[in-house]
Amino acid sequence: MVIKWLALTLSMGIFLFVVELVRRERLTFKYAVGWLLACALAVFFSVFHNLLFAIAKFCRFELPSNFIFFVLLCVFVFLSLLLTVFLCQQNDRNDKMAKKIGIMEFELSELKTRIGQKQ
Amino acid sequence: MTPSQPKILIIIPAYNERANIRNTLKEIWALDVKTDVIVIDDGSKDATAQEARQAGAKVISLPFNLGIGGAVQTGFQFASQNDYDIAIQVDADGQHDVGYIRTILSPVLNNESDIVIGSRFMPQQEKGYRSSFARRLGIGFFVRLIGVLTGSLIYDPTSGFRAYNKKMIRIFARHYPHDFPEPEAIVLAGKFGAKIKELPVVMRKRQGGESSIRYLKSLYYMVKVTFAILLDMLKTRRLVEYGH
Repeated sequence: MVIKWLALTLSMGIFLFVVELVRRERLTFKYAVGWLLACALAVFFSVFHNLLFAIAKFCRFELPSNFIFFVLLCVFVFLSLLLTVFLCQQNDRNDKMAKKIGIMEFELSELKTRIGQKQ
Repeated sequence: MTPSQPKILIIIPAYNERANIRNTLKEIWALDVKTDVIVIDDGSKDATAQEARQAGAKVISLPFNLGIGGAVQTGFQFASQNDYDIAIQVDADGQHDVGYIRTILSPVLNNESDIVIGSRFMPQQEKGYRSSFARRLGIGFFVRLIGVLTGSLIYDPTSGFRAYNKKMIRIFARHYPHDFPEPEAIVLAGKFGAKIKELPVVMRKRQGGESSIRYLKSLYYMVKVTFAILLDMLKTRRLVEYGH
């Protein structure tokens, strides 16, 4: 019973922490949604732990704890993959911006030179 | 420049090439081909940009190092925005003998090719600097890989001494490989239906400074480029559709 409340408190705590981060605009909903879903699932299975045990048995896991560790591993692998995708997107955007800034800076200095010459 | 004359831009990507850039520019100024020159300073830590400006070149300074692909693509974007008809890529390190610019320019000017590659390894050509044995092995591997995948025989797929027509300028302004781009760019160009020609040129040893591809990076280069080329073959036609 203690484990149930511990799991419930921890998952609720993380859920609320993520919500708070979104509220403070430290996280956008787009990037928070994965964490919120994972926390919601954890809360759900903390309450309905018998369902979790049934699924573990159905999947032929020796112990329900093995199943929990397996699911956690899957969730983290998926989340890190998702973060890598976001990182690449960000990198790509930075590169595009750097190219644009380089060209614009050059055009600006050319323009300044031309205006200077006219004056 | 009369309206009938094509607008030609020489793109020189440069990273920490302070020791070489002035000489390279001097050689280009001495040519009797009328071109504009843009140096893309790829976030150099030395005074490459200042040196190039003092030599009289126009310089685009990138805020941080993007790698050779990013620098060259900046040149293509500049060429595309300013409506250049032909772009010529020349390394800043002095390896490319700019005297051959006329050679690689000619098929593009005559609409015979979309891309012309200045090659060190064509059969029965005059021998200049041909890179180290290990690098030649790597190049040989890419020759075969590209040959098997695309059916075209390119003797020097890693050469960055190239001329491009307007079609390729526009395509590469949008799609160009990030790092170690030369072999991959050939495969990409093939996907866009480009006519690629290779002509013999003589190259020299770099005039000063150090190559950016050394030691473990060479191994990474081989793996990365092979993987990228194989992936390019799987890319859909969606990539091919471009519009400006």
